[in-house]
Amino acid sequence: MELLISSYNYWIYIILMMIGLYAMLAKNNLIKKIIGMSIFQTAIIVFYVSISAKKDATIPIIEHGKGHGHSAVISAMDYANPLPHVLMLTAIVVSVGTLGVALALAQKIYDRYKTLEEDEILEQLQEQAVSDSVMTSSGCDNDK
Amino acid sequence: MISEEQIPVLIIVVPLLGALLVNLAGLLTGRAGISLILTVAVLSLALAASVQTLLLVMEKGAISYRLGGWPPPFGIEYVIDHLNSLVLVVVNAVSLIAVVFSGRSVKAEIPSHKISLFYCILILLITGLSGMTITGDAFNLYVLLEISALTGYALIAVGEDRALMASFNYLILGTIGASLYLLGTGHLYIMTGSLNMGDLSSLLPSLYGSGAILTSFILITVGILIKMAFFPLHTWLPNSYSYAPTATSCIAAPLVTKVSVYVMLRSMFTIFTPAYVYSYLNISSLIVWLAVIAIVGGSLLALAQRDLKRMLTYLIVAEVGYMVGGAWLANRLGLTGTILHIVNDALMTLCLFMAAGTIAYRTGNLSLIASRDRHGSWDKSSGSGLAGLFKIMPFTMAAFTIAALSMIGVPPTAGFFSKWYLVLGAIEAEQWGYMAALIFSSLVNAVLFFRIFEIAYFEKSSGDMGIKRGESLEAPLSMLAPLGIVAVSLIILGIYSGDIVTHIIQFAVPLS
Amino acid sequence: MIWSFDLLILLFMVICAFFVIQVKDLLGAAIVFGVYSFLMCLLWTEMGAVDVAFTEAAVGAGVSTVLFIAAVHRSSRQVKPRKRWRRPNKAVGLIAAGLLGGVLFYASVDFPDWADPSSPASTHLSPYFITEALADTSVPNLVTAVLADYRSFDTLFETAVIFVAGMAVFMILGQKTKESAQVGIDLTGGYEDTIIRVVSRALVPFMQIFALYVVGHGHHSPGGGFQGGVLLGATFVLLAISFDLKMVLGRMSEKKNLLLANTGVLLYSGIGVLSLLLGANFLDYSILHTLLPSTGPVVARSHAILGVEIGVAITVMAIIILIYTNLSSGGTNEKGL
Repeated sequence: MELLISSYNYWIYIILMMIGLYAMLAKNNLIKKIIGMSIFQTAIIVFYVSISAKKDATIPIIEHGKGHGHSAVISAMDYANPLPHVLMLTAIVVSVGTLGVALALAQKIYDRYKTLEEDEILEQLQEQAVSDSVMTSSGCDNDK
Repeated sequence: MISEEQIPVLIIVVPLLGALLVNLAGLLTGRAGISLILTVAVLSLALAASVQTLLLVMEKGAISYRLGGWPPPFGIEYVIDHLNSLVLVVVNAVSLIAVVFSGRSVKAEIPSHKISLFYCILILLITGLSGMTITGDAFNLYVLLEISALTGYALIAVGEDRALMASFNYLILGTIGASLYLLGTGHLYIMTGSLNMGDLSSLLPSLYGSGAILTSFILITVGILIKMAFFPLHTWLPNSYSYAPTATSCIAAPLVTKVSVYVMLRSMFTIFTPAYVYSYLNISSLIVWLAVIAIVGGSLLALAQRDLKRMLTYLIVAEVGYMVGGAWLANRLGLTGTILHIVNDALMTLCLFMAAGTIAYRTGNLSLIASRDRHGSWDKSSGSGLAGLFKIMPFTMAAFTIAALSMIGVPPTAGFFSKWYLVLGAIEAEQWGYMAALIFSSLVNAVLFFRIFEIAYFEKSSGDMGIKRGESLEAPLSMLAPLGIVAVSLIILGIYSGDIVTHIIQFAVPLS
Repeated sequence: MIWSFDLLILLFMVICAFFVIQVKDLLGAAIVFGVYSFLMCLLWTEMGAVDVAFTEAAVGAGVSTVLFIAAVHRSSRQVKPRKRWRRPNKAVGLIAAGLLGGVLFYASVDFPDWADPSSPASTHLSPYFITEALADTSVPNLVTAVLADYRSFDTLFETAVIFVAGMAVFMILGQKTKESAQVGIDLTGGYEDTIIRVVSRALVPFMQIFALYVVGHGHHSPGGGFQGGVLLGATFVLLAISFDLKMVLGRMSEKKNLLLANTGVLLYSGIGVLSLLLGANFLDYSILHTLLPSTGPVVARSHAILGVEIGVAITVMAIIILIYTNLSSGGTNEKGL
């Protein structure tokens, strides 16, 4: 029971990561894969932020009045740990950047193949490969 | 104004500013030609700075540079020792040569209004790779890993038709890899509270028995293995590098996987010290066997390919197997071989991809199916694009031959020497399976390349290869010169291998 | 740190995540993903991570949802069932997720208790940051101080990442000529909705002032360059949705946008290079006090942090607009949502 209370939230992050990873690998639809990627990344971010939590501590902004004039003493126990917050700001921005690129790719793929399902795209690619090797009229380039 | 101690940071700052300037120049002037000149200028400066740094490190030992002036572990620190300065020089040299080489192919393959954008993103890829190599902070490495990944996805996606899906698959797998690395770093952080690599190495020994540290090692290693395309996590690589534009594959193929190998070495040497990795965890033999599977798998898959560029990508997979196996042999010889192979393989791969790019530029056909395999009723020109090339493009094929000999491992080319160290290391560690795999792979490479030589020498070239009448049949000088330089350097590096080992590499290997 | 509240939010998050990947309607998935992000913000606010919650609200719940909707609208809304069993993807996915879960559960046994003030993370580096950052940089918001000063190099590259993402989207999707344009779907059906237009027009100035406040006041309150930049970008996105993409492009042309994106990163790295030229290490702000009269090294840091945050805000704003305009119009900037 002790273990449960002290670690339950770590376990839930692990479940979220598993859901995200499964979606990225097993789903057929490209947008679903991208959503899975987002869930995976955000679960890792939640993991980091939970490291920064501290019992009976407030947000990491020094209250006005403390520290100014160096008369009041700032105690480290009063404030949450700011370092994981910084790291995760970076990670959120990185993940939204990756999301943007992924959505752009998905759109371009849709424009080209008219579908967002991976198996249909692979079918089209295979048909294209077969027709490429059949078509061997002079001067026709295989790889351009 | 800028003193000698600031030179390491210039390796990163100059290309970063350069990328922005290239983009601005493209936007404001609307002319694409200026981008190439600026890119070459910026990369030359970066190469000069990295060579200077290597010389400094050889003279004075490891350098530490504090960004923002904050002492580690509060701030971010660069730690430059023999290992990274060597890899930095390789990264910058290869990228400069590849950019000069691919000037023409960029003009041919990328729409003109996107060229300056292409170069901007290309420089940022190189900045990301340099940054991964030079940093001494585990989280900073993640950010730079993501930069090199994002730029890679974009640069591949502008290739031919199938590059889009290839880039998407690369994106999914690459993000899994980078996120696993991040998760591993998170486990390190939760147990120690630190992100600086040097700090971690002093904090970790008391925690060796902890399951969380083992997990973080597994996560970081698996993440990096995905990024370096270690069989069977390699599935993103063949499609991505075959369909990418020539410029991208000439820079990404030699460098991205090698820098990932460097990151694995760095995590083994500095974060989790050799004491933990080799002695405490008893998995060295297991990993070497996985490497054997990687080498054999990569080589066999390469045999099955019908397209030159695709064949080369599978050879990269096999080469990565060499390096991972060598690193886990757990002796000085093996590690020396691995580090030397990072240098050699980058150059060999560059040479091969440049040669393939030249052939594609001239003939547009990289198929390896010999004409006489086809039915008699079909056109002769449907056969291999490499038919009869020895006569038509002698210089290109000469460079290709040297690189091929280096891949097979024929002295005095560089490939022989790194393989030699790896074999010696295998014998010392009594890993006979690995040694057999190395020899097997050399034989397979020999078969592969001699097959190509046969087509290129004996086959009659088809009359219609899209070459204009009156034009020289060999590749243009801007492509030949870099190709020649790299081919010659393969021989020079081979001859001087001993010196490189005694002066640089032996200091890079930790005393175990 | 009310653990029952915590647990409740986490359970809802798991339910949302499960729903998101199973549902067949992509638009529904995008909206529930927004809900998932909002729940995360709540969770983080409750844990005391206000800056992160702010960023997630702006970026994750706000912008990401709009980007998903834009992408889904331009393509297909329904998830089609798998045609036939092509590859063992489901098995691979299950095995991988299972392995990952197993390894992570094994590790979690060793973790320090959650919110334990004596855990290694809370006792090793962070006490220095908490007690000394105000004295070193005169910035009360510790997250801003660490982000823009101690770990400034990370932030520079984070800005570079968002810059690259925008450039990548532009390079992948951008089309020069409009002949091959694919016409986007019109959300309002071509019908001018007066209420939406008037309200958004009235809101935008306040949103922008608030965004500027967030950037400038990031030293003292939760906020900073990223959050402010995203808010500024979001104002343009709001205008694009309620009016017309053309109206936004009339005010913020693509060329101006790209120039702004470059300027922001140049500003950030310029401050770093300035430190180099003055003889200190890259991004060492304290040396800048020689340029600014009557400030000491500490106040110079505070000013430089502000400068850096402004650079970040400019780039982020430009990139959010760039990504949105390209995604919603398929690169042609003809018609948006």
